[in-house]
Amino acid sequence: MTSSVRFTVSLFLATFFLLFRASAAGQDPKPKPENTISVHLGDPVPAQKFANPPKFWISEVIDRSGNPQPMLVLKERGGIFLDRQPTVIVREALEESLRAANLLATDANSADLVLKIYVFQFGLAQGSQLDFFGKVEFTVMVKNPKSRESQEVKAAGTSIAKGAVLKKNIQKNVQDDVEESLRDAVRNFLRGQQLKDAAGALRKSMDAAPAATPNP
Amino acid sequence: MLMVVLLLACSAAAAKGKDTTPRYKTAEAKHFTQAEGVELSPVFGDYFYAELREELKKAKLAGEVIGEGETVDDTDAPQSIVITGTITEYKKGSVVKSTLIGFGAGMRSLKMDADVLRRSDNQHLGVVHIHVKIDPRWNEKTMAKFAAHQIVKDMKEALKAQAK
Repeated sequence: MTSSVRFTVSLFLATFFLLFRASAAGQDPKPKPENTISVHLGDPVPAQKFANPPKFWISEVIDRSGNPQPMLVLKERGGIFLDRQPTVIVREALEESLRAANLLATDANSADLVLKIYVFQFGLAQGSQLDFFGKVEFTVMVKNPKSRESQEVKAAGTSIAKGAVLKKNIQKNVQDDVEESLRDAVRNFLRGQQLKDAAGALRKSMDAAPAATPNP
Repeated sequence: MLMVVLLLACSAAAAKGKDTTPRYKTAEAKHFTQAEGVELSPVFGDYFYAELREELKKAKLAGEVIGEGETVDDTDAPQSIVITGTITEYKKGSVVKSTLIGFGAGMRSLKMDADVLRRSDNQHLGVVHIHVKIDPRWNEKTMAKFAAHQIVKDMKEALKAQAK
């Protein structure tokens, strides 16, 4: 008699537990203050030295990731969310670093080169199950507003952080990982040979244009 | 007491000896190319590149591990290295063979060649060939982790041998 009661109770508990798990798994995680991380660049990234330093202006940052939930970084364990849109974070990081290097124009009219940024990936990419693989990838259209010519510059940043078991540690590691990959991507852009070549070519074409026009 | 003092002195000297400055100023790892017939997912290349950079940082081979395509000061170029490579062979392995036969049969395997070049004049400083074998049940990211670790370890030895 006792064993049959025990069996019924355990069966009931097991069914209840499975139903609860299934319903919890079906729900999408919701952003709450305790599962939201704030990603910042920290110290500005030192930019490369230009022979004739141009002034940049960021006109637009567009999300091209195709991700319906760009602020959701991790879906498992109740989810981890960003506090701002990736486009806002990328713009802030680039502006901070450009300002620190005295390469940021005060407004669009005074800029030598205008940047239009397309963010393709921001957050975690598929890694091994043992760690977190952070990846930030964007493409910048560098445009000379006077000659209307433009060139494409690609930048990518990666970082690998170790996995964790506790929710608090997962959140901390994911935040560090995304910040490190953002830093890496900004550095890759600001110190890249592609930006140097693009800036050089676009400014050269502008310098050459008045010389090429015949005198009246 | 005297023994304790001697031991402390020895350990301090050993620690001082280990704390060496990196041989190179910068190291740049490039995405490895895949030879014809190698069927690995595109994500593998990115993950392996990230792992390789992490391993280079851990190995303290260079003062700074820079991203692909970043500029280096002309003064630092002779003391900077660039790592390029090719994935020459990849075998998916077989879980059935691995389970039934064992003794290394059906293992997932990866062969890679890596070249270490001096940035200023593209001179070859070392060539590394590695062959990594893992259980076929493990995913290819785990294989990338092992491969990156092995490449950096062999590269360190090759550069040490070349310096002698």
